[in-house]
Amino acid sequence: MKIVATATALVGLALLSGCATNVNTVSRSESQATPAMVSDKRVITDVSLGKAIRIVGVNEAAVSGNLKKVQVTIENAKNNARVVNYKFEWTNQDGMSTGGVTETWKTLPLAGRETVTISSVATSPKAVDFTLKLLEGK
Amino acid sequence: MKARFLVLSAAVLPAAFFLTGCETTDARYVDSKGTSTIVSLDQIDIQDWNKAAEEMVASLLANGVLERAPEQPSIMAISRIVNNTQQQIDTDSLTKKIRIALNQSGKVVTTTTLGLGGKAEDPLAKDAAEMQAMLGGQKKVTTLPFYTLSGKLLEDRARAGSTRQVTYTFQLSLTTVKDGLAVWEDEKQITKQGKKPAIGF
Repeated sequence: MKIVATATALVGLALLSGCATNVNTVSRSESQATPAMVSDKRVITDVSLGKAIRIVGVNEAAVSGNLKKVQVTIENAKNNARVVNYKFEWTNQDGMSTGGVTETWKTLPLAGRETVTISSVATSPKAVDFTLKLLEGK
Repeated sequence: MKARFLVLSAAVLPAAFFLTGCETTDARYVDSKGTSTIVSLDQIDIQDWNKAAEEMVASLLANGVLERAPEQPSIMAISRIVNNTQQQIDTDSLTKKIRIALNQSGKVVTTTTLGLGGKAEDPLAKDAAEMQAMLGGQKKVTTLPFYTLSGKLLEDRARAGSTRQVTYTFQLSLTTVKDGLAVWEDEKQITKQGKKPAIGF
């Protein structure tokens, strides 16, 4: 009985270590970067996705003189790898969608506990606001 | 017995025809920019073109090189995009999206009357300009591009057991015409994996 329990535990341990997909990271203890963070508004309609994918922060910059670039840092809050689809949409001063040709859905595989940045550059100089859409992938 | 069989057949046969006639096809509309498009291992899919174009545009715009052109918007011509994949590809699937995005940004306009080997994308515009100059008694002035966009598409296949993998590499360079220097370059890769089918590659 004791041998069976030990063997089961060992097999379980071997399986778990083989399946580990979490990401460890190393970075400077005090960051030299000074990002321009943006306060955001979140609408959660997929609760499981909301729990699995955490929005760490949003920062914004201007590129090519007058084009907005936004970068969103997201974290896979779970230990298992997952896939998320995302899409950035831009709107202009009138609240109208700019309908850029590059506004398409993209697939992003994430390892367990991995933090990544996703970004978008507005192709219209009239773009002032953005919306990031997240959808659970297969 | 015979009568019962005939009655039964008379009831079943029309029902069978009815069901066959109402059979729906599997065809449906999906969003070309959406998540339901097919992922295949034997070609560059539409979502691959979209992703590569978007990332290239973002890279080019974030680089800031377009701001250094003497005139805004600057003029760009499309040069050679080499296809080193195993497929017949129209490279406009990539370059057109980039051109549209750059045009929308107000940073770059693309010439359609000056092309590789003297072949104009819009021959009517080219002929009309020449005719206009001739009728005006002037020599046609060709507006030369400030930039040219060139590149290469590559394909790399791998197989391990029943798993197949294909990587498409998109390489682009933006060259200033006056000195022939590449002021922006980038490379994007898209890798897809899947199981080998019963027949075929």
